[in-house]
Amino acid sequence: MDSATPVIQIENLAYAYGRAEAVHDLSLKVQPGRCYGLFGRNGAGKTTTMKCLLNLLRPQRGQVRVFALDPARAEVAVKGRLAYVPDQVVFYPWMSVRETLDYLASFRERWNRKTEQELLERFRLDPAQRTDALSKGQGTQLALIAAICPETDLLVLDEPTSGLDPIVRREFIETVIGAYQEGNPGNRTIFVSTHLISEFEGLIDEFTIIDRGRVVVTLDSDQARERFQKIRARFAQSPPELDLKAALRVRREGRELELIVNGAGPELLERLRQHNPEALTTESLTMEEIFFATLKS
Amino acid sequence: MIFQINFKSGMPIYLQLVDQIKAAAASGALRPGEALPSIRPLAEELRVNRNTVAKAYSELESLGVIETHPGRGCFLNETHSALRKEVRRKLLIEEIDQAIVQAHHLQVPRPEFLELIHERMDVLDSKRRANEDHKED
Repeated sequence: MDSATPVIQIENLAYAYGRAEAVHDLSLKVQPGRCYGLFGRNGAGKTTTMKCLLNLLRPQRGQVRVFALDPARAEVAVKGRLAYVPDQVVFYPWMSVRETLDYLASFRERWNRKTEQELLERFRLDPAQRTDALSKGQGTQLALIAAICPETDLLVLDEPTSGLDPIVRREFIETVIGAYQEGNPGNRTIFVSTHLISEFEGLIDEFTIIDRGRVVVTLDSDQARERFQKIRARFAQSPPELDLKAALRVRREGRELELIVNGAGPELLERLRQHNPEALTTESLTMEEIFFATLKS
Repeated sequence: MIFQINFKSGMPIYLQLVDQIKAAAASGALRPGEALPSIRPLAEELRVNRNTVAKAYSELESLGVIETHPGRGCFLNETHSALRKEVRRKLLIEEIDQAIVQAHHLQVPRPEFLELIHERMDVLDSKRRANEDHKED
């Protein structure tokens, strides 16, 4: 996979609004066919990064490449191959759903009418409805239809599900998996920024956590679950004094110990076993727990 | 069949699917010739990446557990182990070794461990029989 040209390549990107630095020295690479997550708190620099990919902002330092092209120089070529769902969707208020889709389709080389029809039915959207009468959830659903029908190689999602109700969020994710990924199995790339991490847990192949514009960590999802673990041990008497410096976090409660570890699991497990615990269990951290653990430490 | 994904197990999701299908085949919950769910609806239902389900199915196919009939879907193989005997034994030995190591750490002594194996085999046997009875109804 690594030999393929990355769909997205960001190198040492920096961007500041006046003196407020939004992104600092950010690098990441998204390989074709992957679903890549960009996780961070509000204001961590996710949207600024996305905007640099879409040439809505020009990088002040470093560079971004999409399909090996510079979005600032080859804007049409880049945008022709991607679709984007922003966090705040805006349509012309006087257009109907039907007119909006026709208008957006007019900019695209391809437009799958069958998919469009299926998704309109699935979301129970009325084509005659004016867009200014749509709820926030319906607006996002319309934006998603407009992003999937052109059948692009890359789908960029910026906080797509925040502010939506749980049912709409669930349908949104199912649609990305089904209607989008299934269109060209194994070859469709997704780049999604979100702070609602648990919803995307099963979809994400690889992710970068950013904080205050800087990369905290980049991980492959399977490796992440292997490395980040929660170890619980219970002893007959109060826990022995142990060298637990390799743990990210240690909690002691009576006869119990709870450790959060990053990669040091086997070594610490062995150390705990030597003191014959009554019970010893491990479980992997979820992506959301990894997010908390890496931002706190 | 109904799948259950556990993000806290530490096991890659595709391997969880592989294991559950193998377990379903062993218990008779999935019978030879029976169809597996198609990739898209299964991925949507579990809300996991489509490629993850595809990876699980191709792994099962290379193990000889399932067969793909283009355009019709995936089916549990009639003789659901095309692997040579040594290979099958080797795969099993790895799993058994892991369980033995685990038993040691959990301080489960040998007789109790062996007893537990008999017990589990009985449980799975009775499940399989129940499924077969059900089939005849």
